[in-house]
Amino acid sequence: MPDATTEFFTELEQRGHEPLLEKATGSLRFDLVDNGRRSRWLVEIDRGDIAVSHRNAKADCVLRSDKALFDRIASGEENAVAAVLRGAITIDGNRQLLVLFQRLLPAPKTSA
Amino acid sequence: MNGGLVRILDGNTFVVSDSRGDIEASLTDPTGLFSFDTRFLSTWILTVNGERLNPLSVDDLAYFESRFFLVPGTGTVYVDSKLSVIRRRAVGDGFHEELTILNHDEEPVELTVRIEAACDFADLFEVKDALQKKGAYSRRVSGRKLLLGYERESYIRQTAISASAPAKVDEQGLTFSVYVAPQGSWTTDLDVVTAAGAGGTYSRPKYQRGQRGARPNMERSLERWLADAPRLESESDSLRATYRRSLVDLAALRFSPPVVGGAKSLPAAGLPWFMTMFGRDSIFTSLQALPFTSELAATTLRALGDWQGTRTDDFRDEDPGRILHEMRYGEMTAFEERPHSPYYGCADATMLYVVLLDEYERWTGDRRLVRELRNEARAALRWIDDYADLMGNGYVSYQRRNEETGLENQCWKDSWDSISYRDGRLPGFPRATCELQGYAYDAKVRAARLAREVWGDPDWADELERQAADLKRRFNRDFWVEDGGYFALALDSEGKQVDSLTSNNGHLLWSGIVAKSKAKSVVRNLMGPRLFSGWGIRTLAEGEGRYNPIGYHVGTVWPFDCSFIAWGLRRYGFKEEAAQVAGGILDAAQFFDGRLPEAFGGYERGVTKYPVQYPTACSPQAWSTGAPLLLLRTMLGLEPVDDRLLVDPMLPDSIGLVALLDIPGRWGRMDAFARGRAAVLPPRARSLSPARG
Repeated sequence: MPDATTEFFTELEQRGHEPLLEKATGSLRFDLVDNGRRSRWLVEIDRGDIAVSHRNAKADCVLRSDKALFDRIASGEENAVAAVLRGAITIDGNRQLLVLFQRLLPAPKTSA
Repeated sequence: MNGGLVRILDGNTFVVSDSRGDIEASLTDPTGLFSFDTRFLSTWILTVNGERLNPLSVDDLAYFESRFFLVPGTGTVYVDSKLSVIRRRAVGDGFHEELTILNHDEEPVELTVRIEAACDFADLFEVKDALQKKGAYSRRVSGRKLLLGYERESYIRQTAISASAPAKVDEQGLTFSVYVAPQGSWTTDLDVVTAAGAGGTYSRPKYQRGQRGARPNMERSLERWLADAPRLESESDSLRATYRRSLVDLAALRFSPPVVGGAKSLPAAGLPWFMTMFGRDSIFTSLQALPFTSELAATTLRALGDWQGTRTDDFRDEDPGRILHEMRYGEMTAFEERPHSPYYGCADATMLYVVLLDEYERWTGDRRLVRELRNEARAALRWIDDYADLMGNGYVSYQRRNEETGLENQCWKDSWDSISYRDGRLPGFPRATCELQGYAYDAKVRAARLAREVWGDPDWADELERQAADLKRRFNRDFWVEDGGYFALALDSEGKQVDSLTSNNGHLLWSGIVAKSKAKSVVRNLMGPRLFSGWGIRTLAEGEGRYNPIGYHVGTVWPFDCSFIAWGLRRYGFKEEAAQVAGGILDAAQFFDGRLPEAFGGYERGVTKYPVQYPTACSPQAWSTGAPLLLLRTMLGLEPVDDRLLVDPMLPDSIGLVALLDIPGRWGRMDAFARGRAAVLPPRARSLSPARG
């Protein structure tokens, strides 16, 4: 059973193209920490075309978060924007990419 | 300035102090240094030899800068001091203050100068609602700096205070031992900077000693902003003053949405509580300002498009395609005690977004942006059909899903008692207010034009036009109050008319949803004595159950409201009536030094002789600032048609000659000339001008 983060990024990769990102070109890297163990997701966007990998590359926007927190975000239990405002996620780089990207995050489970 | 308070701002950072320059905030008091919806300084008190100072005068040098002239001693009738104290303060990423003491005596003086400093790190919501903090405070001296901090889990905010002159720093402030020679002076720079996040880097004060020109975050300085705007020449000193005031205040209200970033600006809603992105306010203000600057509209369209809703989120009242209501950055939003990250509970912004997109293209010819935002426009139009028709009766209505902290009334009249029947009863939810149907109609008609001319989708255009025509037909049947000759304020949850007479009828004229055969009757009501006060159109008509001339949305006159009503009157050919409304509001502006308040009392003009300001927290308010601009447009009859600008003026005779030079648009730059001809009459002595067009 894959975790929510893996499921989210895998599904994103399978989508290949996302109309909500057609205005976006650039890359986002998610550096996640799980009890000292690091994992990484790189999302490259080219006018809505999406490629997902674990590559260690420079990105236009880098997010750092606790893995458990990102699992909750990826499963609709937490709101990403509030987490950013709280300082639970830190961001470096192009914030507009993040604004566009957060539109892909799932709705809260309670609102389904 | 409101209640003796002095306000300066830069983006969403602002300082509110008393006329001495001191800050002494209690939790509920709106003074302090604020940034990102958080107070970073709540105490800032200057004493000389243990005494508070006495204000002689305050110069508002610019929207970001003021200067306080002070003398020691308080409470005396006349002042004969050997000392002068000058505080010159500029806000920008914290603030910078130059403190100067002049000794006018033949003898030297030795003084103890002290600045007391503290901070409660209150969220703006806490200041408004008086709530208690949940995190921990710290105070620390580090080298020559005083560090104030607040911490709640990962949420960390800090303020650092330092001085250029030698100071003894303790946890409560800074003390200077000062010697001033005869006829000499002493000075120090004080810097207050802010930081957010763990190990957060402090902002660097934007202004330093000797820097005098404005350094806005925006691409253009105030000087460039003013120089780029059309030039107004007029015999009316008051009109010229109001115009200049509006441009300067609009510059001050420009705001770069922090999370979207970039150097582009959009209008924030108002000072000090609403220095943030609001869907409705930003759109209305951008519409008002379009003939003068298109930058605000372009940024508003982009930023609101980036944040357009994609999910169903009950806490935030978010739906796919919905345009946001309000974005906030403070602690309560961060911990989801408030839903503003962002909050979407607004029933009109989504439709107004499409209206702005079309109006923007008509003025600028910028088809690139219109093409870029096609998906957003499509999603917005889909929201009207799929998410906004809560009663399944073909009308847009609203009902909050967040029943704890969401907004009850999601139209511009958003106070609790704004929507009522004639007898004063309040309807249940959902509520389908009339202006929402007008906006939906206008959005579809305008989108149809864009679909045909820009997006190359004539089938969609036909479909939109068919829907719009159907909506107009049904609306004129279902909302028409037969015995009053006007449109009902709303339909209630049972589809019955909420039958009070309101200013919303003017927005209906603006939207174009009013059948031509009904326009004259609507205008007669708008300009009649129950709604027209002589200064402007009351939000709710005299004689209705809840009418109160100083009730927020139930009797006051809102300059913004009147500016759109004037536009609506023009749209249906009632030029003289539009001039009447414009003349009334512009006359009122004189009483506020050209800065129109959010609202003023609905008292009849002949009775009070001057407009009674509604005691409001925000000034300047963006859409009040924009009102004189839109009124200028309507008086001059400016209308973009293809690549030309039509000018068809009708001005109140009190205004005399007016020239608006270098109006920017797809035609390049054009001039408009006019002379006042319409007599401004009291509300009871008027016959309607014939409807044309």
